[in-house]
Amino acid sequence: MQYAAYVLIQLLVIIMLAPLLDGIIRKIKAFSQKRTGIPLLQVYYDLLKLLRKTSVVSEESTWVYKIAPYIVFSTSIAAALLVPVTTKIMPGTLPGDIILLISILGLGRFFTMLAALDTASMFGGMGSSREAMVSILIEPSVLVSLFMVGLISKSTSLPQIMQAMKGIGAPLTYPVFVMIFLAFLIIIIAESSRIPVDDPSTHLELTMVHEAMMLEYSGRHLAIMELGAMIKQLVLITLLVNILIPHDQLIAVTGIGALVVSIFIYVAKVITVTIIIAIAEVCTVKLRFFSIPNLATLSFILLFLGFLQYFILGGSNV
Amino acid sequence: MEALSIRSMFQVSIMFYVIAAVISLVFIKKQRLCNTASNLICAAGSVFGMSASILKIFSEESLIAIHIFQSSIPFISADIKIDNLSAFFVLSLSILVFCVSLYSIGYISTYVGKRNVGLFNFLYSTFILSMFFVMTSGNAVFFLLAWEAMALISYFLVVYEGEYEENQAAGTLYIIMTHVGTVFLMIGLMLVFSHTKSFDIFGSSVGIPILAKNIIFILFLVGFGAKAGVIPLHIWLPYAHPAAPSNVSALMSGVMIKTAVYGIFRFIFFFLGAAHIWWGITIVILGVLSTVLGVAYAYIMSDMKKTLAYSSIENIGIIFIGLGVSFIALAQGNLMVGSLATVAALLHTFNHSLFKGSLFLGVGSIQYSTHTKNIEKLGGLIKKMPITALFVLGGAISISSIVPFNGFIGEWFVLQSLFANIVSGKAILNLLSIISAAALALAGALAIATFVKLYGISFLGLPRSEHALQAKEVPVIMNIGVGIPVVLCLIIGVFPMLLLRVADKVVFDLLGVSLFGQLKGGLMIVYHPLKIPGSVISPAAALIALTIIAVLAMLVIRVIGGKYIERRYGTWDCGFEALNSRMQYSGEAFSNPIKIVFRMLFRPSNELRAVGGSTYFPESLEYVTEFELIFEKYIYNPAVYLMQLFSNRAKVKIQAGSIHSYLIYIFVTLIVLMTYNRFA
Repeated sequence: MQYAAYVLIQLLVIIMLAPLLDGIIRKIKAFSQKRTGIPLLQVYYDLLKLLRKTSVVSEESTWVYKIAPYIVFSTSIAAALLVPVTTKIMPGTLPGDIILLISILGLGRFFTMLAALDTASMFGGMGSSREAMVSILIEPSVLVSLFMVGLISKSTSLPQIMQAMKGIGAPLTYPVFVMIFLAFLIIIIAESSRIPVDDPSTHLELTMVHEAMMLEYSGRHLAIMELGAMIKQLVLITLLVNILIPHDQLIAVTGIGALVVSIFIYVAKVITVTIIIAIAEVCTVKLRFFSIPNLATLSFILLFLGFLQYFILGGSNV
Repeated sequence: MEALSIRSMFQVSIMFYVIAAVISLVFIKKQRLCNTASNLICAAGSVFGMSASILKIFSEESLIAIHIFQSSIPFISADIKIDNLSAFFVLSLSILVFCVSLYSIGYISTYVGKRNVGLFNFLYSTFILSMFFVMTSGNAVFFLLAWEAMALISYFLVVYEGEYEENQAAGTLYIIMTHVGTVFLMIGLMLVFSHTKSFDIFGSSVGIPILAKNIIFILFLVGFGAKAGVIPLHIWLPYAHPAAPSNVSALMSGVMIKTAVYGIFRFIFFFLGAAHIWWGITIVILGVLSTVLGVAYAYIMSDMKKTLAYSSIENIGIIFIGLGVSFIALAQGNLMVGSLATVAALLHTFNHSLFKGSLFLGVGSIQYSTHTKNIEKLGGLIKKMPITALFVLGGAISISSIVPFNGFIGEWFVLQSLFANIVSGKAILNLLSIISAAALALAGALAIATFVKLYGISFLGLPRSEHALQAKEVPVIMNIGVGIPVVLCLIIGVFPMLLLRVADKVVFDLLGVSLFGQLKGGLMIVYHPLKIPGSVISPAAALIALTIIAVLAMLVIRVIGGKYIERRYGTWDCGFEALNSRMQYSGEAFSNPIKIVFRMLFRPSNELRAVGGSTYFPESLEYVTEFELIFEKYIYNPAVYLMQLFSNRAKVKIQAGSIHSYLIYIFVTLIVLMTYNRFA
């Protein structure tokens, strides 16, 4: 029963919230350019419209191209089920941990990259190859950051990690968590194809990464690919806010009321981080492609310093 | 009674391999018959081997001994002793042999009438037999003999298509490297003998002093490392595996290099014991090096079999990381982490033989129908070879360690053992573990990219050459050979407990502890969690969740979006209106960004040349891109150079052909020996 409620809340919150973040980022970008911008809910309308449209499918493509959107979408959702949005309703264990989470996201990436090659388009290959490079460079940081929070909470399972983080109270007052926070921000930017790694609003062949892979998609396939990517972005943001800024220890009461309050605080946290990402996107320019390694290295070095501070130099004893 | 029947099943298995070898020589003139018969007999033998090893692992009998041949001379006897560890490796060998033998019936038929097929079948079945003996021999002399036989036979198989110069060169490099390894092993085993006065593999190492143990460890590590292809002893592997016919490559990559893992388990882990932490640290460092560099080279290769060969180096690296962690943990007396890491190494050994076997066979199918293994000449094969394409996709997902296939299970255990090692370890071990974890993550992402490239460029898109255009689906028997391991990969990936129970028995034999001893219940329960302290995962639940979500998504979309209407249209080509296969991304271009990012490692050099015409209006352009293999260039080439220099000097200065100086040598030797005898 509790399990069913958990799954339902996860699905509802994450699917409903994910497109909103894109709306917020676009709105803030529009403000920074003295435009009014599209309505906040335009992303939802776009998705609904796309679902109803005819799909134009490349003559060269095969079944890989058609199943890829469903695989990408379901990996994003499966990943979302592994990352609790609130600890107020949460099963003690989930049948998955951080390593499985990374592997599931890997499955989605595998098929995104394959589908891009399936249409025999030069843009697809370009996007796929670039996505490969970005993911290779950022992957060590993803694993190490999750490993570190896991080590501190002595478990690789996300419910346990979140419980342990609640016990710490305010993790961001410790240097190691500040390092992880900054590194993870870079990870979110790289993994969800945002400026300065990738520019989601351009279709210029010199710069696009994720969009190049999506180029051939249209209609409902495009809609679920896009929604999948948005959900993946939200999953990463959820990891960040619920691990490093835990809030449920502040809510003393239990029951339905606490759950609602908890979800509201969660949404507020997510929107705050989204605004940070939007501001980063407004204030920076897209990096030259071969400068992305520097950014990835920066995130890894932050993590490594955090590791040294906490595990080697005895930060854990303070 | 039970033990007797298991023993006779092993004997039957051996007999079948022998019969297969004999038949292929007897019917050497009737090539097609000889090929089919000998492969079928090998497959039958492997079924017996499979069932016998499973029965052995779950039986109460601790050791099954078979005496094939005994002489009155001490240690010159062919003793077979099978414990759980041997049985585990024999199981892995037998499963792959079954698939490869079926596959070979189709694959080798292309050679009928062109080459000596009977000889090939003879070599093939004796190769299997030699690997079997390596994994089961009871004394060190027999072990070395089988080891040497395995090396020689595999050399002949590597140079089977010896008319190509590169195959000969690959064979020569291989035989040199493997013999260097064997020399180290022989010295090591002699050192062992000098202290224990026994060649019994199941003996005790109690009498060996610490210093000698350390030396023996290094000798064994180099000896087995050369066979495993661990970096920096890997240089033969990326040449030898592609040179051999694909079915042999599958066996070499799937099983032969694992005999080295077996050797490390048997002679270091089991015999010497995990005595020092630095042993483990050394093994982990070698593992990390092999993992990252192996897959990095795999990514930039355009020859599919080279990619797979380098990826074998990567997987050996992952196995080594598991092994090293278990050494570290056991040296500190931490049985929990030790058993976890041992399980990790065993699982990955087994899993790798399945998916690498299927991938090599799949590439063999491509070669069979297109006559090329260069991905730049392929493309669009998914339309011509749909079944092969499906199976190779399974293998590719599995080797990229992605759920729901079995590659993920081994990697999960390795990462969990690293994790547990940090929780319990010292500062230096923490650092080592986190760097290993980061290296594994890097290698994982690189593996995904490597196999997206291998699969995407060769199977998807438009055909890049006439070869790919003319491709046809291969015979059913070959597809069965490729398919069985892939299906097993999926089954193990979804129900990992099936394999874990087997591996757990082996670990119990080795360490006396059992990770999953408390486990009860049916084998095939749906919710099939892997449980260790600190974490639970269930690949089955993940697969079910993924399927349900995908189906639900389809239904919901159907409801919102109405009926699915699709319009077929050409791929977007910027209005150029003449899309052709040369506009696709090539394999070279695909991996070029990483080549540039890691230019310290690859040292790429590009050259653009204008051919014909004037400088400004050339008739065509030639683009050459090259990279350096740093180990070959900076370690092996100078060593070879020095060796040749020394040999030349020796030839001129010492062995100049003058009788007088030879007499002097004899005289000096005599004096030295007499002096030695006087004082010793």
